[in-house]
Amino acid sequence: MIKNIGYIVFILLGAACSSEKDEYVPIDKNPKLEFTIPSNFPEPSYNVTLNPPTEKGFELGKKLFYDGRLSSDGVISCGFCHIQDFAFTHHTHIVSHGVNGALGTRNAQPLHNLAFMNEFTWDGAAIHLDLQPIIPITAEVEMNESFTGIIKKLEEQPEYVTLFGEAFEDQKINSENLLKALSQFMIMMISSNSKYDKIERSEGSVFTDNEAAGFELFTSKCASCHEGTLFTDQSYRNNGLPIDPEYNDIGRNRVTGLVSDLYKFKVPTLRNIELTFPYMHDGRLKTLKDVLDHYSDGMIDSETLDPEFKNPDGTIKGIPLTEEEKQQIISFLKTLTDDNFVNDNRFSEF
Amino acid sequence: MKKFTLIILALITLISCKDDDVNVGIVNLEFKNNINNDAINLNTISYTNLSNETYTVSELKYIISNIVLIKENGDEFIYPIADSYFVVNEEISSSKQISLSNINAGAYTKIRFGVGVDQSNYPLNEVANFIPTAEENGMLWSWSAGYKFLKFEGSFIPQGGTAGDFLLHVGSHGTALDNYKEITLDISNTITIGDGTTSNLSIQADISKIFDSTFTHSLEEKSDIQVDPDSEKIANNVQTMFTILTAN
Repeated sequence: MIKNIGYIVFILLGAACSSEKDEYVPIDKNPKLEFTIPSNFPEPSYNVTLNPPTEKGFELGKKLFYDGRLSSDGVISCGFCHIQDFAFTHHTHIVSHGVNGALGTRNAQPLHNLAFMNEFTWDGAAIHLDLQPIIPITAEVEMNESFTGIIKKLEEQPEYVTLFGEAFEDQKINSENLLKALSQFMIMMISSNSKYDKIERSEGSVFTDNEAAGFELFTSKCASCHEGTLFTDQSYRNNGLPIDPEYNDIGRNRVTGLVSDLYKFKVPTLRNIELTFPYMHDGRLKTLKDVLDHYSDGMIDSETLDPEFKNPDGTIKGIPLTEEEKQQIISFLKTLTDDNFVNDNRFSEF
Repeated sequence: MKKFTLIILALITLISCKDDDVNVGIVNLEFKNNINNDAINLNTISYTNLSNETYTVSELKYIISNIVLIKENGDEFIYPIADSYFVVNEEISSSKQISLSNINAGAYTKIRFGVGVDQSNYPLNEVANFIPTAEENGMLWSWSAGYKFLKFEGSFIPQGGTAGDFLLHVGSHGTALDNYKEITLDISNTITIGDGTTSNLSIQADISKIFDSTFTHSLEEKSDIQVDPDSEKIANNVQTMFTILTAN
């Protein structure tokens, strides 16, 4: 009898503390993806440990990125304005196009190396990558949808029920998981295999004479803002564009309400710049030559014009450049084109 | 004897494993949006602020978040953050009743909560699941990926002036200005939570303080505050508007 009770105690000891965790048999159906920081890159701003990309999370994020269900008319996906061939920008459109032919006011920005950026959009309106998609999804002139609406549409799709189930432990279709999946897809979009990268990492490439001259000019005349290997110091500046009365875009002032931020826009990265025309926040400049012409001769003064462009006496200095120097800088900028990235089928719709 | 010991041992084992399920109770929060100690009346009743402007309120909503109950010794019971985000909407009475379940037993002398969404929680704690609620309540700034912490709208007549509308939307301005505010209130009658008990906290929001508190805000001077540096003053005023009316 005593012996039997002993057994029972044993069983109780074992059973009393058991929980679902003990019964869970992990099956590695969803392996983590390697998030590799290129050796010439800084540490990422995105905390990858809080949302580590997985095979299924990435697959789900990519599916969402290319799915028109994220918009009210079922047509406009993220990928509609962010086309891989053009480093995830849109060529034929100066400003972004939205549902039912609506027009935005700004030029779609390229998507790459987003894990290394602190803030997003031309004015820094999104302070975390996970939050950025809220803007295009809910903007009337872009995707014009609501999260409630999207979640309802996705719940009706068996393939999404499966994918969310595989990608996230709680298996739920909700805004948290939707945004995390999009981020998993986007942080994997690293562009780091341009000719410039191979030179910076001493992988055997060398600049041509023109490119080398351009790089030297760039370093002395442009790199104070287009700084470091990401080619942006991530600040907001007024680069002296005349105000377009059609949009009267107040820039970062819209986010901060500060008069000192009027007409300031984020210094964009220059990686893949050859592919991401047209240029500037409203796509007003068609070619890199147009951009350099603006910097040498086209600036107009205003209260918030960046001091970098001014002489000590307050007159506009711009960036003085000869025609030859402009061609050299353009040669250098083309070394920032990453063909591997734009052809990487991990990121392709089909 | 040995048999008895083993049974006791077995019982202790069972009980000790129940430690996770400590006694829990419910705390109901009721938000009362008052002016001059009376419930505000949307659209119908005119109030007067310290700038001698009369105003009526057409819409009043604010986000309550990050609710924490604090014991006398400073120990905190942090309500699960993912479940801790609410929109209080004057128009919808159910939105003014917030029921918090599974509160650990204990005697609580303070409550702390936030108005708005703190940026430290942006990528964390499933706070993104608050987006649909915020969206349905019009508390999302779609173009800025941020939340409106306070939405306060109505009409006003300045002294000797002509009538106009006012619109105060307060939120954080990217990383440039953080308008999230936390409020800690003393609970004069300690609330004691035991197994299955229900406690009620009635919290008054003195809406007149949105205009007149730490700062005085005249609507004639500025009736439209959306993304405006003056939102900081409004946020500071909002921080002072809450008091506990009753606790039991």
